[in-house]
Formats: sequence, structure tokens, C-alpha cells
Amino acid sequence: MSEPLLVFRGIEKTFAETNILRNVDISLYPGKCILLSGNNGSGKTTLLKIIAGLETPSRAEIELSGKSHSWKSTIRSIRREIIYLHQQPYLLSGTVESNVSYGLRFTHLNRKQLRESVKEALEWAGLADVAKHQAKTLSGGVQQRVAFTRAWILKPKVLLLDEPMANMDIESREQACDLLKRMKSEGMSIVITSHDTNIIDGLIDIHFSLSDGKLD
Amino acid sequence: MEGMLLTTQKALHLLVTGDPELWSIVMLSFSVSLKAIILTTPPAMLVAYSLVNGNFPGIRIILTVFNSLLSVPTVVIGLFLYVMLTRQGPFGDLKLLFSQTAMVIGQILLCFPILVALGYATINAADRRVRETAITLGAPWWFTILTVLYEVRFGLLAAVLTGFGRIISEVGISMMVGGNILGYTRNITTAIALETSKGEFAQGIALGIVLLVLAFVLTTFLTYVQGKQDMST
Repeated sequence: MSEPLLVFRGIEKTFAETNILRNVDISLYPGKCILLSGNNGSGKTTLLKIIAGLETPSRAEIELSGKSHSWKSTIRSIRREIIYLHQQPYLLSGTVESNVSYGLRFTHLNRKQLRESVKEALEWAGLADVAKHQAKTLSGGVQQRVAFTRAWILKPKVLLLDEPMANMDIESREQACDLLKRMKSEGMSIVITSHDTNIIDGLIDIHFSLSDGKLD
Repeated sequence: MEGMLLTTQKALHLLVTGDPELWSIVMLSFSVSLKAIILTTPPAMLVAYSLVNGNFPGIRIILTVFNSLLSVPTVVIGLFLYVMLTRQGPFGDLKLLFSQTAMVIGQILLCFPILVALGYATINAADRRVRETAITLGAPWWFTILTVLYEVRFGLLAAVLTGFGRIISEVGISMMVGGNILGYTRNITTAIALETSKGEFAQGIALGIVLLVLAFVLTTFLTYVQGKQDMST
């Protein structure tokens, strides 16, 4: 296996005197997909949010280029490379196009480049037909694809997906799976959580199970 | 009964014929209250957002203070401001007493806790995913705040309308720190109080009609806005 992109060591999370995560180590590799399984409440979402910098751990370290740094001092600088998607992604008020272009506003692209990038991304995801539709009026499966595209357009190194296939019909699941395979082939490191381990064929490279706050 | 009808007739006449004194009072009321609400909204929303998303000690106490301030009578705010602005007071040198600026400051003090409390309730009820989505997509902190506020804009607009309704209809502050000076600090509520005390009801009734129409328009708009919010959630 190639060199890891990011290594998180000793992640611990305690909440109300309950150990949600206990000394969890996880390495993320480019172009690899990790499946994180576990029962409801096993800490999968908390782990993803800590990796994404959306939740503060009780203790954690990040290894970058062989050097170990505290989570607090490093997470801000690497957060741009990591995108977290909720189980039911939140689409902002506005059109599909405005949702997909949201993150690009904070890059150095000019208006013309931004428009072209959005157009390319919408075509990539097969969403060109619904570009002008109000995002919140679309079906769950299409909303999930909009969220994938909104993440993909920013070319993150790590994509964290919380139960992405939950509540999806077979067709939407296949379309989502296809998009994820393409993201993986572009070198993106993907982490997917699921309590159903059979749902994502041909996508998973590494499988971890989270129980009692420990990773197996 | 006949006298009341005659007075109402006179009041309607004043309104319809565009009586300059009456309409200048109305315009002054709107001018003062609009300035107050415009100046209060951005900092109040920032405070409300910080109370929802902040991680500092004393948040509960601060919230309790703001909620308690909701029920402070306007005359108490007026009295407090009077003491501050009177010639012997700590800000006496600014010579703000009996000015529109003093009325604006007083109305800001009145509506700031209202906007913070209602803003807090609205932002607290916002979907947590909005903030997380903005952050994970690389939004800077200030754009994250704008994104969250935009997503709950209808609720916040309802809060602003409620605050505006409260300050344009208050009388205690305007009377105490405005001084009810015709053409300068006399607004709808102080004019109604004065005209009634003189036994001149026509102008008071006309101004009362303006306030009632405003209340009706605000309530209708609030209902519409709340309907929009329900739809968006």
C-alpha cells in the first residue's frame, strides 16, 4: 500500500463521562475507500466529524509527513482538504447550480472559471438537466448526487460519507456508487460509514468495525 | 355618541387631506424607529449567533439576562437613559437629551434584547447541518454566519418585525428622553398622549388609526413570513 495521506492517532472522545472513542488510530490512503461499520451509536459519526474538524476530540494527534502534531494545532490547516457529507446532506436554499458552486466562492477562481467548473461538474454527475431547479425540491437520491458533486468540485483529498446509501432506492444507490468509484479512481481517499456492510460492492478496500469505541 | 362620530370624522379628514403636522409626526416616528431597528439588527443577530454556537462560560446567564430584559418597562429604560443623558449625568456633555438621537438610543436599548432573544430561538432551531456544511465546504467564519442566518431568514425577519412593532408603539422612552417637541421629537405615541390630555381627540384618533393599520400590516406580513418559514423547513 502507498504512503498514507493522513494518519490520525489516539483519537479519544469522552462525553458525559462516557468513552465514545477509545484510542482510535486510522490511516487514510489516496485512492482507497475505507468502510467503517458498527451499530447505531458506536461512534462512527463522531469519528468522521473529528477527522473533518467539525467536532473536537478529547485527545487526538495528526501525523503529517512523518511528524506528529496535536489535532488542535493542525486541523485548521488541513480542513480544506477534507469534506464531510451528512447522512442526509443539507442542500442550501437556491438552485442546484448555486449549491454546487458554494465552495468555489472561497477559492481563487474568477467568475468565468467558476461557471465553467460548475458546468463541468454538473455534466460529470449527470445533473445538467436540473441545474436551475430548486435543490430542496429534488428527490433524496438526486439531492445526494448534488451533495457529492458539491464536494467533488472542490477536489478534496479526503471525502467522509456518513451512511451515504441509507434511504436510497436501488437506482439512486447505483448512481451514487458509480460517482464514488469515479472519485476514488481520481485518487480521493474515501471513508464511508454504514451499519450494513453488504451495500457497497466493488468500492471498499479496507473494512474497519467500530464497537465499544474501539476500531477493529 | 355624536361627538365621537364627529371626532372620528375629523380624524379621517386629517388623514385623507394629508395634514402636514400629522404626517410629519408619522414620518418622524418611522424615521426614528427604522434607524433604531437598522442599527440594532446586525449586532443583535451576531450576539444571538454567538450564544447558539459559542463555547464560552456564562452563556446561560447571559441568556437569562436578555430574557429578563424583555419585560423591563419602557419608562424604566427612559428613566435610565434620562439619568445618563441629563446635564449632571455621565453623558451630559454630549447634549443628547430631548433629541431624536436619544430616542434612537432608547429604542435600541428596548429592541436589542428582543432581537437577541427571538434571534437566539430562531438560530437555535436552525438545522445544525447548515453550519457544518458551510464549514466543511471551506466557508470562512463570517460567511458561515451569513449562510446560517440566510437559511433562517424568514424567522429572523419575523423577529425584526416584532422588534419594530414594539419600538414604534412605545411611549415611555420617547416621552422621557425625546421631550415631545413638535416637529423635532414628537412621534405618534407621544402626540396621542399629549392630544388626549388636552382633550383634542381628533389628531390622537388619526394617529391611533395609523398605528392600528401598521399593526395590521405587520401582523399580516408576519403571518406570511412565518408561513414561508414553515414551507422552507
